[in-house]
Amino acid sequence: MMAIQLTSEQKALFADTHTIKVLTTVDGAGKPHGKIDRSIHLADDGTIVYLELLESSKSNHNLVESIWFDRTVSVLVWADGERCIEVTGKPVRVHITGPIFERYYVDVRSRLGDVDLSGVWIIVPEQVTDENFWLKKAREESERPFFRHLDRLAKPDIYSSN
Amino acid sequence: MSVALKRTFAEELSLNEVVARYPDVPRLVIVKTDVQRRGIHYTERALSIVDPSIHQMRSPYIFGSRDGAIRDLPESLILRDGTTILVDPTPLEQNPYLVDLVDGRLALVDNEEVVEFVELWKRPRYYDLHTSSGIPMSHIASARPQRLNIFQSSYCHFWAQHKECKFCDIVNHTRQQKDELGVPIRLKPQDVYETVREALKEQGRFTGICLTAGSVLKGRELFDHEVDYYIETLQAIGENFATKKFPSELIASAFNERQLRRLYEETGLMGYTSDLEVLGEEKFDWICPGKADSVGYKEWRNRLIRAVDIFGHGNVGTGLVGGVELARPFGFTSEDEALRSTLDEAEHLAENGVTTFFIVWVPRPGSVFRDQQNPSLDYFVRLAKGLHDLRVRYGLRIDYNNYRNCGNHPDGDLSRLL
Repeated sequence: MMAIQLTSEQKALFADTHTIKVLTTVDGAGKPHGKIDRSIHLADDGTIVYLELLESSKSNHNLVESIWFDRTVSVLVWADGERCIEVTGKPVRVHITGPIFERYYVDVRSRLGDVDLSGVWIIVPEQVTDENFWLKKAREESERPFFRHLDRLAKPDIYSSN
Repeated sequence: MSVALKRTFAEELSLNEVVARYPDVPRLVIVKTDVQRRGIHYTERALSIVDPSIHQMRSPYIFGSRDGAIRDLPESLILRDGTTILVDPTPLEQNPYLVDLVDGRLALVDNEEVVEFVELWKRPRYYDLHTSSGIPMSHIASARPQRLNIFQSSYCHFWAQHKECKFCDIVNHTRQQKDELGVPIRLKPQDVYETVREALKEQGRFTGICLTAGSVLKGRELFDHEVDYYIETLQAIGENFATKKFPSELIASAFNERQLRRLYEETGLMGYTSDLEVLGEEKFDWICPGKADSVGYKEWRNRLIRAVDIFGHGNVGTGLVGGVELARPFGFTSEDEALRSTLDEAEHLAENGVTTFFIVWVPRPGSVFRDQQNPSLDYFVRLAKGLHDLRVRYGLRIDYNNYRNCGNHPDGDLSRLL
């Protein structure tokens, strides 16, 4: 899967500080782990940046395994029922030292107080899915009509005849 | 100085074959291991983008390089997963990896194929400064990406007795470094204090301090002078911290319980390593005659085990020069046999709370073993995996000497998930 560029609407969703962002990773046994995180944002080049504060966290371990064994992670960005996307991609880099790391280190500590920074993870987006519920509902009912329960299609008078 | 034999690696499994054989070992760690095993050579194209004001150039080190020269080249490399590669410039006739410029980026290249893109280490700001006594701070503390190395004394007394470890070039390199760069053989605690103080001003730069030196046999009891000097230096470093303890490692001789308690109680030291270098008494006696005569294999091992009661489970370790157990003429002749023996001994240590890690043996021109050849990549991968598996089995962490605080052990890279 090749890296993709997000649309301006999708970029705006990432930039909106009121959205909830969830990073989901899996470990070597396939066990998933989700984490709500406010640090997730887009870099100028369109990659996703995630700041990991804890070296020993489940997310960090899973990201290390992902970069080692070429696994995919997902980032869900949720504003409300109508504005929600899921981006899947690959962690391709972690800055644990160097000027980028040090810039984030100082920034994180100025915002959050006495915390540490383990790494600055770079995730390359490979696929974006619109998770707008009403959009997906309309699509499923149009493309997968057999998935509906019959009572939803019944004449209203069936209920009044009880 | 003698140069190691030309090597083609044609009879060994290739990097890709080893990667395919061990799908549960990350390719990046295997790449690191092979680069350390074979060394590197910077092309002119690569050197054209090196900027000594940004990139860390080779700074004083306790051991020499495999080309036997002190040259103004980049210090070393880091991979995209944060794995550090500590590796020497290596003569082309030894068939090293090339560090070349590909599409404007530095890359490891082998047989004209890009193996992996890499970055150079960044130069710490304190390298521009001098201590109040006028010594360049880069001569007091050598930086790794996240660690400060303090080589407080670069003389090893085993050399005076002609009983140096056969893979080691510490004294020959020290003389060369003193003659060519003016690096002091013995550091003053005040200089160390000032250098660490400046380094700490670089926020987010360092996560650990490591002290090491050659063995000093003198004192009322064996090694007492060595211990006194470490305590003095560690106390000077500690003056910079608000907490009594600070992330630190001492790589030193095998001290007795009284000496270890002094180190732990009188300083901020948190981790203790004493290198057996090679596991198994017979190989130890042959390869490390000074250590064998002064302390002996079993007592060295017992002192490590006793150190666990003082420094804590997971905070005591021993380093191996991985592969030296296969040196000629008295080493193992089979990699399988060498691996089995080494891991059996390492398991005994792990059962008793001592973790074992290895560096990739590089036959250095200034050592007795200078004309020898290190083992196959397959061997080193199995050794890394075996030592990591022991840590998993015995619940041993390696936080004090991990991929970040050290970065020189392939098995330690695997253990970053513990």
